[in-house]
Amino acid sequence: MFELGLSAGEKRKLMARMRVPLFSFIALMGLLAVNVLLGATLPFPQVWIVQLLVLATMVAVVLLFSMEVLHEPPLIRLFSVLGFCWVGILFAMTLIDYLTR
Amino acid sequence: MTEALAAGVGVEVLEQFESEAQQRRAGILGMWSWLLTELLLFAGLFLIAVVLRVQYPDSVHQAVAHLKFWIGATNTAILIVSSLTMSTAIELSRLGHQRLMVRAMLATVALGTAFILLKSYEYYVDYVEHMTPFLNRPFELADDRPATLFVNLYWVTTALHAFHLITGVTILVIMALQARAEGYLRRHQNRIEIYGLYWHFIDLIWIMVFPILYVIGR
Amino acid sequence: MTTTAYRDTAVPHGTIDAPDDYLHVTHTLRSWLLTTDHKRIGILYLIAITGFFIIGAIAAGLVRLALVVPDGSIFTNDTYNKLFTIHGVVMVWFFLIPSIPATFGNFLLPIMIGTKDLAFPRLNLLSWYIFMSGALFAMAAVVAGGIDTGWTFYAPFSTTYSNGYVILALVGVIVVGFSSILTGLNFVVTVHTMRAPGMTWFRMPIFVWTIYATSLIFLLATPVITIALILLVMERAFQIGIFDPALGGDPVLFEHLFWFYSHPAVYIMVLPGMGVISEIVPAFSQKRIFGYKFIAYATIALATITFFVWGHHMFVNGQSEYASMSFSFLSFAVAVPSAVKVYNWTATIHKGDLRLDTPMLYAMGYIGLFVLGGLTGLFLATLAIDEHVHDTYYVVAHFHYIMVGGTMLAFLGGLHYWWPKFTGRMYNEAWGRVSALLLFVGFNVTFFPQFLLGYLGMPRRYHVYPPEFQLLNILSSAGATILAVGYIFPMVYLLWSLWFGKRAPDNPWDAKGLEWMTTSPPPLHNFKTPPVVDFEPYDYALKVPERD
Repeated sequence: MFELGLSAGEKRKLMARMRVPLFSFIALMGLLAVNVLLGATLPFPQVWIVQLLVLATMVAVVLLFSMEVLHEPPLIRLFSVLGFCWVGILFAMTLIDYLTR
Repeated sequence: MTEALAAGVGVEVLEQFESEAQQRRAGILGMWSWLLTELLLFAGLFLIAVVLRVQYPDSVHQAVAHLKFWIGATNTAILIVSSLTMSTAIELSRLGHQRLMVRAMLATVALGTAFILLKSYEYYVDYVEHMTPFLNRPFELADDRPATLFVNLYWVTTALHAFHLITGVTILVIMALQARAEGYLRRHQNRIEIYGLYWHFIDLIWIMVFPILYVIGR
Repeated sequence: MTTTAYRDTAVPHGTIDAPDDYLHVTHTLRSWLLTTDHKRIGILYLIAITGFFIIGAIAAGLVRLALVVPDGSIFTNDTYNKLFTIHGVVMVWFFLIPSIPATFGNFLLPIMIGTKDLAFPRLNLLSWYIFMSGALFAMAAVVAGGIDTGWTFYAPFSTTYSNGYVILALVGVIVVGFSSILTGLNFVVTVHTMRAPGMTWFRMPIFVWTIYATSLIFLLATPVITIALILLVMERAFQIGIFDPALGGDPVLFEHLFWFYSHPAVYIMVLPGMGVISEIVPAFSQKRIFGYKFIAYATIALATITFFVWGHHMFVNGQSEYASMSFSFLSFAVAVPSAVKVYNWTATIHKGDLRLDTPMLYAMGYIGLFVLGGLTGLFLATLAIDEHVHDTYYVVAHFHYIMVGGTMLAFLGGLHYWWPKFTGRMYNEAWGRVSALLLFVGFNVTFFPQFLLGYLGMPRRYHVYPPEFQLLNILSSAGATILAVGYIFPMVYLLWSLWFGKRAPDNPWDAKGLEWMTTSPPPLHNFKTPPVVDFEPYDYALKVPERD
C-alpha cells in the first residue's frame, strides 16, 4: 500500500505539492481538537462564541487551502463566498423575526 | 490551480468547447455552482437549529446532552483525513501518477465508508437509548417538546449528510475503477479535480454540522 | 509543460458542420428524445409547458365557473380547494417558472452569445427528463384525487389535516426543483465561460442579462424550498413536529423557508419576461435601447434585493412587528429597479420608428399591465393596507396582473417574435393582432374586477361569498371566456403555420442581434462560421439625430 514506486526526483516533486494539503490537514485537526476540548470541558458559559469562531476558521481553511480558492480567479472566489452571504441573508432576516418576538 | 500539469496529463476536449482551458474553467465553475446549492440546502436545517436554540435554550441543551459527542468528533476527524487523501489523489493526478492516484481515491472511499459505518453504529446506539422520537418507541425526552424537535432535526440533518456521503462514495468508487483505464489521465484529469471539490465540500458541511448540533450548547 | 487537447484534426478549426438546419437534420423520435442540441431541448420544453398550461387553464376555468354563483353549489368545498390548488401548483412550477428560461433561454442563450451550445448539453437533456419526472409525480397526485392545500402548502394543514395526496405532490415539486437548478447552473457557466470572442458583458443582449440573473436565483433560492418541502414530507410521514404547533413547533418557520424561495421565484417568473420585452421594444421601435447599462444593473439589483423581501407575504401571520417593518421597507426598495426598466422601455419607444406588429402589441400590453401590477404591489407592501387586503382578491388580482398581464404576455410576445427563427415559418399577422387584442381585453375584464372584490373584502380561496359580490364575479368569469379564446387562437394559427405558413427569411423584423444573423431555423451549431463580435448591442441606425 505504501510502496510508492517513485523515483527520488518524483518523490520530491510530490512532497512539494503536498505541502499545502498537509498544512490544511494539520490546521483542521488542531482546530477540531480545540473545539472538542472546549465542548468536553465547557470552561465558561459564552464558550459558544469561541466555538463558532473556530468553526469559521475551519471553513476558511477548507475553502482557501483544501479547495484552493486562494489560487483561483476572482470569479471562483466570488462563487465560494456568495453562498455564505446568501445563507447570511436567510439567517439575518429570519432572526429579525425570532429575536424580536 | 496555477501549477503546471505533467506531460501527457490533460483533457479530451468535448464538442461544445473551443479549448481545453475553456472546458476546465467551465467544469470548475459548474461544480462551484452546484456546491452553492448544496450549501443553501443545508442552510435551512442550520437555520432551524439556530431558531430552536434562540427560542428554547434549555431544551436544546437537554437534547444535545444525549447526542454522541465523541462519535461525532471521531467522524469529523475521519472526514478530515479523507480530505487529505482526496487532495493527495488530486496532486497525484496532476503529476500523472495514475496507479498511486487510484490508491489514494480508494483510501478516500475507505475513510468515507468508515464514517458511514460509525454513523450507523451511532444511529444504533441512539435507537437502543430511546432517542428515536419518530418511531413508535418510548422516547427519552418525551416530556420536553422542543427537545424532541431538536432531536428530530439531528436525525434529518445527519441523514441528509449521510445520503450525500453515500452518493459521493459511490461515485468515487466508480471513478476510481474508471481511472485505472489506459490513458485516463491524458483524457480526463479534470474530473479528479472537479470531484475533489465535491468531496471537500461534503467534509465542509460535516465540519459545520458537528459543532452546530453536537458542540454548541452542550 | 503544456497540456494537449484532442480534437479530430481532419476538421478544420473554425468551421461548423451540417448545412441542414436543426429541425431537419435528423427526423427520428429517438433523435429528439436523446438530443443534446439546446434548440431541440428548448422545443421539447415548449411542447411540455404548453400541455401543462392547458391543464392549469382548465383548472382556472373551472374555478371561474364555480364563482359564478355565490353559494358554492357548483362544486363541493373539497373539489373547489383541489381546483385552485392544482391551478396554482401547475401554473407556478410547471408553466411559469420554466416558461421563458427553459424554452427561449435554452434556444437563444448560446446563439445570442455566439457559441455552439450550452456548457453541459447532456446535463441540459437530463434537466428536461427531471422536469418531466417531477411533472409525472404531480400529475399522479392530481389523477389520484388531488390536493387541497393551496400551492403554498402551509403547515400544519398540509402536514396534519389535509386528506389529499400531499406527499406525492411534494415529491413532484421537489424533483422539478432540481430541473431548475441544473438549468440555472448550465446557463450561469455558459455565460461566464463560452461567450464568443469580442462578446463582452456589456455587448450582450439584455435578454441574456435577465436569463443570467434568473439563473442565479435558481441556484440560490431553489435549494431552500427543497429542504422546506423535504421537511414537510418528514413532518407528514413521521410527525417530526418542527412546523406543528401541537408538538411545540412553529408554522411560521415553514413560511420563512417557503417564501425565502417563493418570493425570488416570482422574480424568476418576472425577469425573463423583462428580458423579452427588452428585445422586442428596440426591434419594433428600430431604436437603440435607452440606458442599456441602467437596465443591466437594474437586473442584477432586482435579483439581489428580491432575496430581502420575502416577509411581505407574512405580515399578518405572526412574525414580529420589527420583521414586518423591515420587510415592508425593503419591498419598497425592490420596486425601484423595476420602475427603472419601465422608464427605459418607454424612452426607447419615444421617437422611435414604431411598428405595431403582434410582438409589439404584446410588449405594449405588458408595459401597461406590469405597471398596474407593480403599483398594486406597493400597496400590498404597505403594512396598514395589507392588513386589510391580505388574503383577499386584491392579492389575487395583483399577482395575476404580473404573472399573466406581465409574464404571459411577454411569453406570447417572444413566441411570436422568435417563431420565425425557431420554425422557419411566418404566422398570420392579422390573427396575431386579433388574438393579442382579445387577450388584453379578456385579461382586464377578468382581473380588474378582482381588485374591487378584494378591496371590498372578498377573501381568496373561497367559493362561498356574499351575494352582493356576484356581479363582479360574473364579470370576471365572463372575461375569462374571452381570455380563453385569446389563448386558443395562437395555439391554432401557430400550429397551422408549421405546415402552411410563409417561409421566414433570416431576419423578418430587421432586428439587431446575433440570432438574426443566422438562418431561420438555425443550423445545428447555430452559425456557419463562429462569430467574432465587434459591434455594440441594439446598434440601430439613429433615425433622429442626437441632440448635443
